[in-house]
Amino acid sequence: MSTTTGEKIGYVGRAMKRVEDPRLVKGIATYVDDLRLPGMLHAVFVRSPHAHARVKRIRTDAARAAGGVVGVFTGAEVNAQCGTIPCASSFPDLKSPKHTVLAGDRAYFVGHPVAVVVAATPYAAADAAELVDVDYEPLPVVTDPEKALEAGSPLTHPDLGTNAAFTWNLTGGDIDAAFAKADRVIRQRMYHQRLTPMPIEPRGCVASYQPGEGTLTLWTSTQIPHLIRTLLPGMIGIAENKLRVVAPEVGGGFGAKLNLYAEEALCSHLAMRLGAPVKWIEGRRENAAATIHGRDQVGDYEVAVSKDGRILGLRNRTIADLGSYLQLLTPAIPTLTGLVVTGAYKIPAVRMDVVGVYTNKMSTDAYRGAGRPEATYLIERLVDLVAAELGLDPVEVRRRNFPAPEEFPFNTATGLTFDSGNYEGALRKAQQLARWDELVARRTSRRRAGALFGIGVSTYVEICAMGPSKAMAAGGWEWGCVRIEISGKVTVITGVTPHGQGQETTFAQIVADRLGVPIEDIVVLHGDTSVAHYGRDTYGSRGTAVCGSAIVMCVDRILEKARRLAAALLDARPEQVEFADGAFAVKGSGGKRLGWTELAGEAYIAKNLPRGFEPGLEASAFFEPENFTFPFGTHICAVEVNRDTGDVTIVQYVAVDDCGNQINPLLVEGQVQGGIAHSIGQALFERTVYDEHGQLLTGEFMDYPMPRAEDIPDYVLGSTVTPSPVNPLGVKGVGEAGTIGATPAIANAVMDALRPLGVTHLDLPLAPEKLWRAIRQGHKE
Amino acid sequence: MKLTGTYRCPAPRARVYAALIDPVVLQRCIEGAEQLVRTAGDEYDVRMRIGIGAVKGVFSGTVRLADMQAPEAFTLHVEGKGAPGFVSGSARIRLDDAEPGTAITCDADGQVGGVLAAVGSRLVDAAGRRMMDRFFERLGREFDPPTTS
Repeated sequence: MSTTTGEKIGYVGRAMKRVEDPRLVKGIATYVDDLRLPGMLHAVFVRSPHAHARVKRIRTDAARAAGGVVGVFTGAEVNAQCGTIPCASSFPDLKSPKHTVLAGDRAYFVGHPVAVVVAATPYAAADAAELVDVDYEPLPVVTDPEKALEAGSPLTHPDLGTNAAFTWNLTGGDIDAAFAKADRVIRQRMYHQRLTPMPIEPRGCVASYQPGEGTLTLWTSTQIPHLIRTLLPGMIGIAENKLRVVAPEVGGGFGAKLNLYAEEALCSHLAMRLGAPVKWIEGRRENAAATIHGRDQVGDYEVAVSKDGRILGLRNRTIADLGSYLQLLTPAIPTLTGLVVTGAYKIPAVRMDVVGVYTNKMSTDAYRGAGRPEATYLIERLVDLVAAELGLDPVEVRRRNFPAPEEFPFNTATGLTFDSGNYEGALRKAQQLARWDELVARRTSRRRAGALFGIGVSTYVEICAMGPSKAMAAGGWEWGCVRIEISGKVTVITGVTPHGQGQETTFAQIVADRLGVPIEDIVVLHGDTSVAHYGRDTYGSRGTAVCGSAIVMCVDRILEKARRLAAALLDARPEQVEFADGAFAVKGSGGKRLGWTELAGEAYIAKNLPRGFEPGLEASAFFEPENFTFPFGTHICAVEVNRDTGDVTIVQYVAVDDCGNQINPLLVEGQVQGGIAHSIGQALFERTVYDEHGQLLTGEFMDYPMPRAEDIPDYVLGSTVTPSPVNPLGVKGVGEAGTIGATPAIANAVMDALRPLGVTHLDLPLAPEKLWRAIRQGHKE
Repeated sequence: MKLTGTYRCPAPRARVYAALIDPVVLQRCIEGAEQLVRTAGDEYDVRMRIGIGAVKGVFSGTVRLADMQAPEAFTLHVEGKGAPGFVSGSARIRLDDAEPGTAITCDADGQVGGVLAAVGSRLVDAAGRRMMDRFFERLGREFDPPTTS
């Protein structure tokens, strides 16, 4: 979508490079670890090597006596002053363990912090941390979430009396009738593996207390400075308006930094307690063990179908492995799976039962896609299984179950209203880009030549632009501010906290077009609660849809005020004044034009303002979304599996994503590319592994295989545009789409490749060893 | 982690048994053992430097001898902890006459935890095997050159 002002093509809709990138690629951006404050101390955490243990005694004297050490603190010395880590979700039967900043008398997972050493240098702190001597008494460990629900299982939290944290169910339509009248019922058990988000920059923070003002500043590598400013004061005993939270440059989050962590709270407390700035930088091994993990759901899924491939009902019981504690959104993630579990299909009846289970592992929480990748994977795998069972073309089964474009807004059995969609359109375009008939012919010829060649399709829908406040624990609105400076330059302030999403560019594009100013004149500020007074931050692909809309409201308010000012200065009525190309003039007069420089000068110098006219040219706004948005698309993947090694080669990848109107197609493409790379990791390589003793075995990149450049194929990317009716920009969001749509396309392709061997389903990741074994097994049969 | 192995030692069973429960000999034979001090009858405090792949560190702990049936067999219980995590395990050691020396069979079961497991798990078995091989190689050298009575 391009807007035009006169003959000139606007910025919106143009593939523009990000204004953020030069500082990033030149290495001159400022991350938390770049901060150096006078007198700054350094914290290092002592962490439990046991998955479950009684902490019998902690000897800190040797550490305290070590050179440069300022203090050593255990749970007994800080937990009473720090409050508990917050969780924003709740269910009627939710059982929550007390989540203190340091372990009390028990450690619940490998990596659980039990003490913190503060010293003058990070090296002194690390050396002294080795001198902290903790006596542990190992306790029985809970690692398997299904066995954890059996009678007689050891308990993760003995005081809760059960490992079941909560139960949740979702029902829509008449599920029993759907299964009663089904021609076939297809069942499959599926495990959605645990993943480690692994942003390139691990976590880290610097807390600094100003005793004169009584104010605390926390710089932290986070997606949510505003939510931290809301949640942290109650924990550490400071007023909300005496806390400033700053997210400087953030090197990736993917949901892992959508949390208030113990380390942030404790460094804040210690900065106040010690009267000196305290810095903590997470190491990679700490990040793998003590930053949230994602996914980890296992379930038995059943779908009722008619013999022509229409899906009548979907039923499942899902066990969600929560780890040992509730982080900010831990229990909410599987409920998001439930909401979109029917995918892009008209499924009239659904029942989903979720049990959240405590185990002696790191907490799971939002990881790129957060609940939707799980849903999309299971419904897209099931559709392929349905097609195989009925002898139908998987693409045709999808088509038969799509709602038609004229059925939107479409109400799902899960209680959502899909805002807009044309699923058939995206599928058709993806097939065109993939040269579908040629691709199918290629499969035939490759198979004839003995190759294991497969094609996988995923037609996904997801849920973005989070969200209506009634559905969001902390409110789902967003705040923005636009100010025409006295010089005529434009400052945009956003309550979202972009960390790779590129809103310094896209918001400037939106504002430049609407104000008719050069984009170079616009600066977009974010990530500092003393600059962006309010905000709900960045997650759930919400930035452009929700805050972009707040910014549009700001611009509209400024235009309205500027029109009144221009009218007064031009001796006209406001309705006689027109705005074009960044200037106001009396309609049809061909006379004097007032641009932003003149108007800003008048508005701030304020010598010629009409009586009662408020000086200044600034507006702020809160935008409340009336609904979520529901982006969708089709991904097509073709793979060849090496018979001798089990290696998967992606020979073709086509993605057509519909995220509504596109502000900047280059950034949309970037988001989709990164998302598909995440999916390649999940589909083919990655899995977070704990052994039966609860020991984490995937603690660094040697053991946790992220995809590498050589694993990423050339993508063919396309889009369709179905604007959303629920925000003024008509945008939907695209930050997670690739991660949601791609995993099942890849999995379906690999399963299709193995179909001739009689293999119907394998759980992720489809790593070479697993495929090699399946191929060997297949040959034997 | 389970490890088993059989080694030969060019000395009679009684002498090998005596060496295996002698802290001075043990400290010489255990690679990385910096200190081995008897604290009670069959219990020793031990300080060892262990490296598995990129993970290196000093472990301190205890070694306890149990189920001693001189000169046929005994069990070794080891507990150690350090900055990179912990190790714990036990080994049943059997000695059999194998003219002209002794055959030693070692049947060990161990566990590692913390960073040691997180980043070294692929290497733990190999590292354990290597430590065991080195131990018996050094033990053999204690009796080298072969003694003549």
